[in-house]
Amino acid sequence: MSATVQRFLDPAVLGAISGLDLVAKTVVDGFVAGLHRSADFGFSQDFAEYRAYAPGDDLRHVDWNVFARTERAYLKRYRGETNSLLTVLLDASNSMSYASHAVKKIDYARYIAASLLYLAIRKQRDAAGLVVFDDEVRSFVRPSTRHGQLQRLLAALELAEPRARTRFEAPLEHLRGFLRRRGIIVILSDLYEPPDSVIRAIEPLRYRGNEVVLFHLLDPGELKPQIGASAVLVDLESATRFPVTAEYAAGRYRERISRHIESLRVAARGAGLAYQLLVTDQPLDAALREYLTVRQGRD
Amino acid sequence: MGFIAPAFLAGALAVGLPLYLHLLRRHRSEALPFSSLMFFEPREESAVRRRRLRYWLLLALRLAVVLLAALAFAQPYVMRLAAGAAPARLEVLAIDDSFSMRAGTRLADAKRAALALLAHKPAGESAQVLALSSEVSAVTQATRDPSALRAAVQSIGPTDSRSSFAALAAAARSLAENASAPIELHLFSDLQRTSMPPSFAEMALPAGVTLVLHAVGRPAEPNWAVESVSAPGEVWNPRDARIQAVIAGYGTPAAWKTVSLVVNGRTVATRRIDVPSSGRAAVEFDSLELPHGFSRCAVRIDSADALPDDDEYRFTVERSDPRPGLLIHEAADGRSPLYFATALAAAAPSAFVLDTLTVQQAAQVDPSSYSFVVLSDVGSVPGGLAGRLREYVGRGGSVLVTLGTAAAQQGQVPVFGGALRTSHLYAREPEGFVSVGAADTAYPAVGQPSEWESVKFFYAAGLEGTDADGTHARVALRLADGTPLLIERSLGEGRVVLLASGFDNLTNDLPLHPVFVAFVDRTIRYLTGTEGRSSARVVDDFVALRAGEDRGLGVEVVDPEGRRPLSLQASASAQWLQLAHAGYYELRFANGREDLIAVNPDRHESDLAPMAPDVLALWRGTPGAVSSSAAAPRATAPGAAAGPEDTPAAHSLWWYVMLLLLLAALAESAAGSRYLGTPREGP
Repeated sequence: MSATVQRFLDPAVLGAISGLDLVAKTVVDGFVAGLHRSADFGFSQDFAEYRAYAPGDDLRHVDWNVFARTERAYLKRYRGETNSLLTVLLDASNSMSYASHAVKKIDYARYIAASLLYLAIRKQRDAAGLVVFDDEVRSFVRPSTRHGQLQRLLAALELAEPRARTRFEAPLEHLRGFLRRRGIIVILSDLYEPPDSVIRAIEPLRYRGNEVVLFHLLDPGELKPQIGASAVLVDLESATRFPVTAEYAAGRYRERISRHIESLRVAARGAGLAYQLLVTDQPLDAALREYLTVRQGRD
Repeated sequence: MGFIAPAFLAGALAVGLPLYLHLLRRHRSEALPFSSLMFFEPREESAVRRRRLRYWLLLALRLAVVLLAALAFAQPYVMRLAAGAAPARLEVLAIDDSFSMRAGTRLADAKRAALALLAHKPAGESAQVLALSSEVSAVTQATRDPSALRAAVQSIGPTDSRSSFAALAAAARSLAENASAPIELHLFSDLQRTSMPPSFAEMALPAGVTLVLHAVGRPAEPNWAVESVSAPGEVWNPRDARIQAVIAGYGTPAAWKTVSLVVNGRTVATRRIDVPSSGRAAVEFDSLELPHGFSRCAVRIDSADALPDDDEYRFTVERSDPRPGLLIHEAADGRSPLYFATALAAAAPSAFVLDTLTVQQAAQVDPSSYSFVVLSDVGSVPGGLAGRLREYVGRGGSVLVTLGTAAAQQGQVPVFGGALRTSHLYAREPEGFVSVGAADTAYPAVGQPSEWESVKFFYAAGLEGTDADGTHARVALRLADGTPLLIERSLGEGRVVLLASGFDNLTNDLPLHPVFVAFVDRTIRYLTGTEGRSSARVVDDFVALRAGEDRGLGVEVVDPEGRRPLSLQASASAQWLQLAHAGYYELRFANGREDLIAVNPDRHESDLAPMAPDVLALWRGTPGAVSSSAAAPRATAPGAAAGPEDTPAAHSLWWYVMLLLLLAALAESAAGSRYLGTPREGP
């Protein structure tokens, strides 16, 4: 991927762009341009094959030119034309408002969500929906391919400001009642809960044939906290505060959060979930690449 | 304890700043919002408490820095008596190297005592070595180097000068003005009574100087000396010369002494005289056989005493032919030559041969062959003669000019220069004459003013610019109305003396008075350079090397040891020569005249009697005996009784405070860096 394209995936650069639609278009166009028509991934407008018509097939996909020459009905199929369904679950709890640099975790999550939704609707012709949650479902946009769906989704993203705490059980329980069709579920969260609890809440989504992608968003300041000699840390969700030492932050804390990440990774794979750690000072292409990989596996 | 600038102590209020930083801001720890404290442990509070305990050390160091800085600016000091610690003291060792220290082993004893004192000197004390004679010379500057001090003591040798305790007191006063430390003055001397100045006040030592006397050469040894010799400096007929000598005994018993007259190393006459106990005896030699020229003469005694160097008295005698003189007069004036020649013959028989010539006869005469020239009321001097006379004077010749009525008709004074003003004809005034009003008795030709009281002057010539031109003209006599009568002007290497009246017994009655003979004698001797010639001089006397201030030909001087004490530059410009050594000095003056000068030590040095004990006690300021060794008890000089030992001195604590401030600042930096620094980023 060229440096110019990479530049459009930099979250710091995206932070200067107003409007999630423009952010999404910038990210996806830049990402697609960098792929150079890779054979790994197919988009809906790329021709794939002809298939013999079978009763029940949509007549709109019959290639009538071929039928005129051969008097046989063939369906024209395109790559990626699987009519997949993408549902993005965005964690909008207070912990997502943390930032040790220019881009908050919630902003980074919105960039990814917008990019994925743009990619699904505009490039894949997939139905896409959005669930914004914290300790409950705050907003829900049903997956659809209707005209104006992308604008509705981006508007919901714009309104997703962090508040409250994270709880996976209640919102996912609520979500299971709405998800009738199989599809891809992308979860964007910092996952500040015990790994067992997270996997236990998410795993049921997999039972219905959904592909679940777990994007674990962390700020670089959460991986390597820079704390002075004397500091009192305040929990953004619980408002709990207590003094910490720099020695602990540089030692014991790093061990514990590394162990937490590794536990999540192992538990997710054990449950058949795709897991990807995203650090908010890194480009967005890792998320897009992970999504396309998962979608490719569904074809 | 006090403070030089106590106002700076107000700066101690700045301790509030670290107190605020530590005690007030300490409780407001930095609150950092964090996404989740899920992986932090609140039990780390105890570690923070431990850290805060460490902050108390940092706080203490910061308070110390502020307080010490305020203290340093206030410049604290303490008053401390110097009795507990040895004060910084300057030891001055004055060693008498005068002529009397040649007696026996006095100088060696003095140097030995000085070395013993240096051996016991504390290493931290400075010392200085002085040499005392008629003047005080610093052999070293104040130093702690014992080797340099010892070398300075060893380098001191005997001189021929006379010691002076007044000079020592003056040097002590100068040292006390420049030295910050108290001075302990050690005098190593035979403490001669004759070294005391006429006024005891001149020996007073300033406050802060402690005098310690180290007497050598006690008791005083008996000493005989040739005290004085009376001999003519110049003889023309040896049979007329008479030599008188005085032999003195100091603390001596009555004894017969053999006195010898030595001429050029050869004994020409011997006498035996009885010298009374501690008394004097005179001896006379009737004739003196001398060759022409200078002879080195001496009178010796066979005393075999402790100070043999004063058993000989040196003098010089010059045997010469009569010196030619020239008197030039007007042909019509027959009186002046008569009076002058008669007076000259009466004053100095056989010393001068006077030629008298009229102006016309002298027109072609070369004056350089004469010892002096007299222009007696000459109206008009031929141009050639005037030029030769000026050249003669410029080379060191001497001319006496008298201005009678004939000379007054000319506008210029011959040879002397200057214009003639209105003449004073006192005969026409009511009193008919005028007397001498002022006399410069220091001038060699003047004598005593009383000699001139009865002399009547009826006429005197007036000169322009005589008074104003004081740098080159010296007025030795003035008439009562202020008219200069006797004036001298130096021209080149020679002199011109002007008498503003005549020798003709018409313009004055001077030739009829006894002072005329004396005046002619003194004037001619002064002009010929034989007036001040004595047969002997005393060590440290000065001799004039040239008449004027103009630089001319070099003067050659050879001292008694055969060395030339003057450099080439000094020989061309020096006005005076100090006769520093006993013996014979050979001189060739700038005007070509040669001289041989005998120099003897001051005979006050021959009297070896010491100062009375009461006088010594008075000088030291404490009654008691004179110490005889370096370990003698030390006494305090007058005015120094309240010495620095009893006076509390202010000792500054500034350096100590600054040292503590530096240490506190360094410790604060180390503690602050250790406790408050950001931990290094881990991998």
